[in-house]
Order: sequence, then C-alpha cells, then structure tokens
Amino acid sequence: MRRVALIAILLVGLPMAGATQELRLPNKPGSLKFAVIGDTGQPGSGQTGVARQMQAWRARFPFEFALMVGGNLYGSEGPRDYEKKFSIPYKALLDGGVKFYAALGNHDDAGQINYKAFNMGGQKYYSFRPKLGVRFFALDSNYVDDKQLEWLSKELTASGSDWKIAFFHHPLYSSGATHGSADLQRGLIEPVFLKYGVNVAFMGHEHFYERIKPQKGVAYFIIGSSAKLRKGDLRKSALTVYGNDSDYAFMLVEIAGDEMYFQTINDKGATLDTGSIRRAGDVQPGQNVTTQPVVPQAKPSPVQPGPAKPKPAPQTQNPRP
Amino acid sequence: MNASRLLVLAMLTSGCGGSAASDRPPTDATEAALQEGERKTSTDPAVNPDAAAMADFKGRVEGYAELHRQLAKGDAEQQKNSTPTQINDAKDALAAKVKAARAGAKQGDIFTSEVRAVFRRLVAPELKGQDGRDAKAVLKDDAPAPGSVPFKVNAPYPENQPLPSVPANLLLALPSLPAPLEYRIVGQHLLLLDTAADLIVDYMLNVGAT
Repeated sequence: MRRVALIAILLVGLPMAGATQELRLPNKPGSLKFAVIGDTGQPGSGQTGVARQMQAWRARFPFEFALMVGGNLYGSEGPRDYEKKFSIPYKALLDGGVKFYAALGNHDDAGQINYKAFNMGGQKYYSFRPKLGVRFFALDSNYVDDKQLEWLSKELTASGSDWKIAFFHHPLYSSGATHGSADLQRGLIEPVFLKYGVNVAFMGHEHFYERIKPQKGVAYFIIGSSAKLRKGDLRKSALTVYGNDSDYAFMLVEIAGDEMYFQTINDKGATLDTGSIRRAGDVQPGQNVTTQPVVPQAKPSPVQPGPAKPKPAPQTQNPRP
Repeated sequence: MNASRLLVLAMLTSGCGGSAASDRPPTDATEAALQEGERKTSTDPAVNPDAAAMADFKGRVEGYAELHRQLAKGDAEQQKNSTPTQINDAKDALAAKVKAARAGAKQGDIFTSEVRAVFRRLVAPELKGQDGRDAKAVLKDDAPAPGSVPFKVNAPYPENQPLPSVPANLLLALPSLPAPLEYRIVGQHLLLLDTAADLIVDYMLNVGAT
C-alpha cells in the first residue's frame, strides 16, 4: 500500500516538476539577458544550489551578467573569505564570462568597491550601460546622503536610456517581519525615482523573494534569498503580488524593447514566479497597475521646470505562474 | 520631514520639470523650512549661531581627509580592480599609517565639546515623531552585537559585525563629510569612521541625549 502511494505521488509530481523547469522567458536574439541575486555571501547548501542552478539555466538562457543587491560577504572579509563566499561558489559562472555587478549591503566592507570581480569601479554607487537603451544604477542604501542623491539625480538626468533599473540593498517596500520597508530611505530615494523615471528596482536585505505591486509606477523586487533564508518572515501584506520565504532563489531577467520578462527560480530549478513588465503604453486598469502615472516622459530643460508629460506606469503581467 | 531633507529634495526636484507634485512651487512654509535647514548647518555666523562650531568641525574633518589622502599612497593606496589580497594589504597598510600619524589622537579631537552640543541639538528632533520611530527601528535593526564595537579612537571597526545603516533623516540633519569619512550610530553613540581604513576616528556618546 505504501508503495502504491509513493508511485501515485511520483506520477503527480513528475509532470509538475518537468513543467516548472521550463524556461518561461522569450530568449529573443539580441535581447538583454541578466540574472539577479541577493544576500549571497554565506557559504552553504543554499548558495551552492543557487549557483549550480544559475549555471545550469545559463545553458538555456545565456545571461551576460548578474546583479548583486548586497550582502555579498557575511562576516570576515579576508582574502580567503572572498574565495569561500564568492569566487569558489560562482567559479563556473566567472569562468564562463559572467560579469557580476555588486551593490553594498550593511554587512559589506567598503573595500569591496575595489574588488575586480564586483565591477564597482572603486565607487560605492555607480551606473553602467550594458546595452543601448538600458542603464543600471547601483546605490549604497546604507548611507543615503545628499552627495549620493545629487549624483543619482545627475546620472538619471544625463541618462538617455529608455530603461532605468536601480539595484541596492535595503528594500523601499517590503512585507518582511524582521526588517520591513525602509521608510526613511524611501522618503529620499523614491522622489528621485519618480522624478526621473526609474522603471524597476531590485533589492535584498530580506532573506526571501517578494514581488511588490508596482508602487507609483515603479516595479520592485526583493531577492535576498540567494544564500540565506528567513523562513516564515514574509507577512501577509497588500504590497505582495507573489512571495516565497521557503526557497533559496535567483532571478533571470530579459529586456526586449519595451518589455522586461522575469523568471524566479529556486535552488532545485523549479520556477517560483514569472511575468513581464511593460514599460510603455497606455495605463490599463488592472490588478497590478498603478493609477498614479508620475514618471515623466519628456525631459524638460534643467533650467526651466515645466509641466511634465506623464508617462504611463509599467504594467506587471502574469501575476502568478 | 525635516528641513534638511526638504532642502535636498528641493535641490533635486528644482532642476527639471517632472511629476505634478514637484512642479508645484515651494510653499511659504517650505521656503521657511529650507531657510531653517540652511541656517542649522551653515558656517556663516550671520545666519547660524552655531556657525563657529560648524566651521570648526568642517575644518577638522577636512584636515583628517587631507591627512588620509597624504597617507593613502604607495602600498596604502587602494586601486580599482584589485584582488582580495591587494585590498586587504592596502587597507592594513593604510590603517597602520593612520594609527601612527594619529598616535596621540583622543576622543573629542574632532567631536569637540562645542560640536557635541550642536550635534545633540540637531539629532534630538530627528528621534521624535514617526521619523524618529523609524530611525530608532533602523538603528536597532542593523545593530552590531552589544559590546562588539570598541569605543576607542584608532580602533578598527570589527569586520565580522554589520555596519549599521545611518537613518537617512539623521544623515541629512548632520553636516556632510568628506570621503572617506562616514557617520555610524551604534546604540546611542555616534562614530566617525574612516571607511577605507576601517578605523574609528572619533566618537561621541549619547548623541540622542538632549
């Protein structure tokens, strides 16, 4: 009887497992493909499992680089720690040419900004443009001072990119019981995001995955479970579209034109979440669409502030896999 | 929202037109708040009764930053695109040089008694109300283990402890610092940290006390 039950479970489970291993991204030629990981600097089965899955999925989805949203090295940061906590677990990816772009978390020493493999260029906050039309902004959310805010404003103003994607450690919105939303940072950073049209933000600090409902036109993701996990920490909240605090996870992301597709995968290779964000188009009423299109489309003169032409908010589609 | 924050936001949103909210001209109350923020940290004695202390503080931190620049050369210079060994070696060399150059440094060399009094006046309002509650939550959230941080000039910040994030409202209420200096708050106490050498440059106790 016990054997019959086991077979029944396998019959039900196998097709599901097969389906969840499916690549749900369009994988278009010429699109920008990248991964996002967070709170990674803790050696262990979670980190190893995620790194293995990233390598395995890269065979099907050849992402070029990975964003790290902070928590890059927990504890001591001697030369051996850089190896144990980063270069060894991600060796296959590094050897395969994947570039990692790091942001600093509250456990990260400032010395990391000079580490070659983190590509920070000696700066605590920086931007890079891997492809025409997409620019990334790494912020230091540990220390949001006027200098950084001025830098961010200038960079966003000067950016001709169509997509503006920020990544940093402290989540501006979160349903976590341990930390929750970083309200004080949000009070300073969010107005700049809205003013200059940031589309998407990836964050960590919370050791879970959460896709936040678009807030004032900006899509937010928390992906702080790539090596550490805080089970049961994700509270029920009106902010959440989808959350998972029981699996180690990473994200695969693809940008093609005005669409950004994402697929969140756990350390066993199963898909947790998937969907897309449309950057342009009319605002349509819907579950995940903000009704406050505050992101300016036109960039008026820096001298003469003028009335902004509102840009539609990004829409998040496919709320659940 | 305090005056300093309003000042920064006004600076950031005045350059370009954008959202409906930021297109609105500042109200009289906002302008008054901006003026108050400027006054609080100004080094101009005509607008700030604490100008002398602020100017003195500015001179002291700039003096430290210049010393740091002079010492951060040769084997103590951090280079972009380094290996972990190079990063650690340069940091250790720099820390050794700073400690040697400031062997006689003591608490209060930068946070003088006058500066401490002004800082307490600047910080106290930020620990009240909703922002104050949020700030306290941040400090508690990222706090290093009790007793793990030595309150000692020239002591290294313990590398296995989290660096507490500085609540944004406090950061904007205080005078800005030249690199590589940063403020950190541990418990009730304010650290002045050299982030490149990982050294405590100065500290003041009970910064939130009025």
